[in-house]
This record gives sequence, C-alpha cells and structure tokens, in this order.
Amino acid sequence: MSAQIDATLRETFRALADVLIPAAEGMPAASEVGVHEAALDHILGLRPDLAERFFRGLRAAVGQTPEAVARKLNREDPEALSAIGLAAAASYYMQPRVRALIGYPGQENRPADPDETPEYIANGMLQQVIDRGPIYRPTPGR
Amino acid sequence: MSSTSRGDAADALIIGAGASGSVAAKHLAEAGFRIVCLEQGPRVDNSEFYGDKPEWELMAQKRWHPNPNVRDLESDYPCETSDSDVNPLMYNAVGGSTILYAAHWQRFMPSDFRVRSLDGVADDWPFTYEDLEPFYDQMDLEMGVSGLGGDPAYPPGKAPPLPPLPIGKIGMKAAEGMNRLGWHWWPGPNAIPSRPYGGRNQCVRRGTCLTGCPERAKASTDHTHWPAALQAGAKLITGARVREITVDEHGLASGAIYIDRNGRERRQFADVVIVCCNGIGTPRLLLLSRSRLFPDGLANSSGLVGRNLMMHPYAAVTGSFDEPLESWLGPAGQTIQSMQFYETDASRGFMRGAKWQVMPSGGPLGMRAAYGGKPLEEAWGANLHRTTRKVFGRSFEWGIIAEDLPEEANQIVLDPTLTDSDGIPAPKIIYRNSENTHRLIAFHLERAKEAMQAAGAVEMSVTPLMRDCGWHLMGTARMGKDPGTSVVDEWGQAHDVPNLYIYDGSVFVTSSGFNPTGTIAAIALRSVKHLIAHRANQKVAA
Repeated sequence: MSAQIDATLRETFRALADVLIPAAEGMPAASEVGVHEAALDHILGLRPDLAERFFRGLRAAVGQTPEAVARKLNREDPEALSAIGLAAAASYYMQPRVRALIGYPGQENRPADPDETPEYIANGMLQQVIDRGPIYRPTPGR
Repeated sequence: MSSTSRGDAADALIIGAGASGSVAAKHLAEAGFRIVCLEQGPRVDNSEFYGDKPEWELMAQKRWHPNPNVRDLESDYPCETSDSDVNPLMYNAVGGSTILYAAHWQRFMPSDFRVRSLDGVADDWPFTYEDLEPFYDQMDLEMGVSGLGGDPAYPPGKAPPLPPLPIGKIGMKAAEGMNRLGWHWWPGPNAIPSRPYGGRNQCVRRGTCLTGCPERAKASTDHTHWPAALQAGAKLITGARVREITVDEHGLASGAIYIDRNGRERRQFADVVIVCCNGIGTPRLLLLSRSRLFPDGLANSSGLVGRNLMMHPYAAVTGSFDEPLESWLGPAGQTIQSMQFYETDASRGFMRGAKWQVMPSGGPLGMRAAYGGKPLEEAWGANLHRTTRKVFGRSFEWGIIAEDLPEEANQIVLDPTLTDSDGIPAPKIIYRNSENTHRLIAFHLERAKEAMQAAGAVEMSVTPLMRDCGWHLMGTARMGKDPGTSVVDEWGQAHDVPNLYIYDGSVFVTSSGFNPTGTIAAIALRSVKHLIAHRANQKVAA
C-alpha cells in the first residue's frame, strides 16, 4: 500500500490535510503531528478499503492549491474527500499530543469499585423515583 | 456432496451459534442430547478487537461495523436494503450478534405480552410476563447481569446477581434532569459484569462494547454458554453455511445441507432441527428450503414466514454541556434508562411507547461521522477544533427505542439477483415506518429535548431516525396458538413440521420497546426446557 504513496502524493496529502485540520484554536496543524508520515501508511494498511477513493482524490489534487481542491472535492467527489479526511482525522486524533490537548486519554481502563455505594443512592436521587411508585401496567387478571 | 449417514444423526441440529443457539446448545448437551451446531461465521478471539488500541474508532467504521454490508466479510451475507428505512445489523460468528451488542439486558414489561388485550392493536403473546419470569431470572444468572433491583417500571422480582455498573457523569447529569421533571429513570441493567463472574473479567469501562470487548468481560455467548456446551459434548462446526433444511417424505425435518469453507457441500442428519439464525437469517433459510411438500418454503402454510418484520426505529437527542463529562467512559452498555413514556397513552395520538437510554458518546473521530455533506468550513478547518472543544467529552445522547408494531407488508423475501459468497440468494428487506411510528418518534423526541434541557444542555441536536439502527430483528416467524396466523407455537415448534423449532427473535409477536436479547434468551431457555421435558414424545424423521 505504502508503495503507492510516492513523494508527490504524500506532499499533496500533507497540504490537503492542513487545510482540513489547520493550526487554530490552540491546536496544531495536521502536518505538525505527522499525519502524512508513517501514520498514514499505518492507516492505509489497516483500511485498504479507503485506497481507491483516497488516491482518486489525491491524484485529482496534484499541482493545484489545496484550498481550491478541498472545495472542489467537497462539491464534486465527497467520497474522495471523506476518505482523505478520515485518514487525516484518524491519524490526528491518535496522536498523544493531540489527545492531551483535547483531554482524551483514549478508551481507558478504569474499573469501578462494585462495593461502593452509588452516589445516586447515597444522596437520595433514586429515592425520588422509588417514591413515585410503580409505573407499569400489570398483566390483566393478575 | 459429502454426507453423514443417518447413523451419525444428531439428536438436535442447531443452526446458528448466536444468543438463542448458544442457550439451546448448552442446555440440550447438558441434558444428554447429541448436539451438532452449524455456524456460518468463525470463532472470534477477544484479542482481535480494537477497543484497547488507538486505532479503535478507525476500525469501528469498517472491520467491526455492525452492518454486514459495510463489513463485507465472507462470513457475512449481504442484505438488499433499497426498500427499507433501516439497515439490519448483526454479526456472524460463534456468539452471533452478542459479539457486537451493547449488552443492555432488558426484560419486557407485562403489557408487552398483552398488547391486544390492553391496547386493542397487534396481538397478545401466547404466554405472559409471569410465565417467562423464571427464565428471565435464570438467564440473569447465566449471563451475569449487573443492575439494581426495585425498578418501579417492573413488578417486584429478583434483583440482578451483580451490583450495577457506575452511571458516570453522563448518567448523573441525565438523572438530575429527569428528577427535575419528576420522570422515571433507573440505572440500566447490563450483561456486563461489575465484578469477575463465571470466568469472565470485571468490566473496566473502556466503553467499546459495540465493537467487541477486548477485556473478555461482556457477556457474549461464546463465553457464557459455549464452553459448557462443548464440555458437555456439543459439536460446533464453524464456517458452515446452511442452504437448505431437508425433509423426509412425511414432511418431517431430516437435517440440513451446508457448504463448508472449502466450498464442499455437506449434509447433516438430525432428529430435531432448531433454527437460531436471527429475524432475517431464519426466514431466509425457511424460504430457501422449498420442496415438493413445502413449495412456499418450510413451515410456511400461514404465508407468514418473513412477514411482520420489526426492527425498532431508533431516534436520539444529543445534548452538549458546558462542563467535562468524560463521555467516552463506559460501559456502553447503558448508564441509565427511562420508561416514563413506555406505556400507551392514547391521548398522545399513537399506541405503545419507547424505552430511553443514555450511552457514552465515544471518541473524537466518531463525532465526525455526522459531518459528511456539510460545507467545508463547517465540517473542517478551525471549526473542527471549535466543535471538538465544545462537544467532545461533554455530550451524551438520550436514545429512543421505538416500538414498531407488526405489519405484514414489512418483510424479508429472497432477492432475485443478490447472493452471498456461496451463491445462495440473499435476503431483501422491505421495511417502512408506519404513521404510528412517526407520531411516536415525534412525541418522544420532544420529550427527550425537554429532558436534555432540564439536565442543562447548552446545545442539542436531533436524529429523527438513525438508518444504521436495525439491531433488533424480530417477528418474521411469529408464535401463536392458531396455525393460520402464526408459524410456531409458544414453544417454538413449527405448526407445520413437528420436529422443526425456531428459538430466535423471529418468534416475537410484538417488538416491545426494549433491547430484545434478554427476552430472546429467556424464550429460548423456556422452549428448550420444554423440548427436554417432552423428549420421549418427540416425532422424528424415519
């Protein structure tokens, strides 16, 4: 898969990714965290189904300004832009620096103590529900 | 064709190793039945799941997507959906769709079994909540359900065997809103162990239940039932795609013809055939099993095989809040649920109701899924960062499971051209939401917006109908007392073929507004215990 990403296409992806994910609002641009580097090969290796749309979009973009191409793809080939955008965003949000900035530890291992009394019991929240009584209709004749 | 001889016949052939097939295999094998189970999918190892890896969200959109048409694996069969409002979701493997389900382990309410008597629509079931209750209780133990007893939405009964999982900040926030309105809520029951149980690990709250549990915690039936079934001698054959249930000259089921993963056609004889292929796979197989004696498909003298498909339209209101809620944290699984608007109130302009539930909203990539087709500046650029900062980790959804009533026009048929990888005709889904469903969803969305507002949401978005929501596949081989208006009796026994049984969600008379796996499993258990008890009287093929 990575053999298809020659230097020209990789550079085209880098530029396009920075249009989609620019440096703004205190966040780094996509290329600053290396979405166009080894991470891209990794993602395309995991998701070979993206390749056709991904490369179709990039080949249409070579030699053009990335802003204009992004608009054109969004209008005329949204599937290609979606594949490019998914590769960029997936790589971006997998980076530890980006995750730290948005406060995301990943899908973490944080078991709870099953013997701890839940807050909603301790503070009486659930008791309000209980106090209102049953809300079901019984089986007729029961 | 390679063939077993009659001498190798199983006492019972189970087709499908999902929720109901697993329950049947365990209990029949432990009762001394010689069991063969044919499953078209493979075994799945928990290390294959991505929930504990950074690539989780990327792989959730393809390899572990619940829509078989998206996954496009050889072990799946395609579903033609151009005439359906909803895409059917499932997984084909040992454990079936419990591999990818959210494990909301619900019971139906008493009124669900008496819809005709109470509301004058649809039909009553041939048994009551009270008839099924002992089997619900036993399945709670077999699955290892975590939850809290005493929910006023149900008659008094036994509490789940494990303490409830934490409801997290999102559950607390939602519950605060419900209390402000004086509306029902309760910690959600989940087939996810809050402490180690039955050889499975305690849930660590990764929140990736819908893409497979990498912790070997969630109660998928490959773990809860198959080890005991195999220990008791059940034979499980994976990669076995059944194309026909065979019958003898007397119209009794004699076994099945299947195709293995080397493309060879094989035959398995059996005294009893139990179909557990879900609400789409089961009618597909019955319709495929045409013969001289059954020209319209097996067990289809009523013409109802494939009809009355119910898939639970799903709507949602998502709210974002101005405080961090750790809304990626599991279980997923449900945190809290509400049955405030579950029971019928005819003054609302529709019949029946819906269960609501709060679930985590996942990671930052999943949030992007709704942005396709939006203007570039809205979906990307600096706005991407602004949206992520505003919404990610600070939002949750009130999901609404709408009860759809049975309608014969909603159905499974065999597609004339589409086939699976073995050339077997694929199912075509014809499914449209009724006016009652539209009204029901509109009402519930308005109430869910009120609930979200009461919880303090600063922004809301509404999903009136999620297309990829057809997890709950029900009704296509309904049970009943009258052979003219149903396919099987209350024990899952086909009216037309006395040694053919159906144990999956196909047999549902109505859909309820609940996640159905708990009820599928309880009905399977009730049916299989009846089969065991009446074994001596069972008719079998010569």
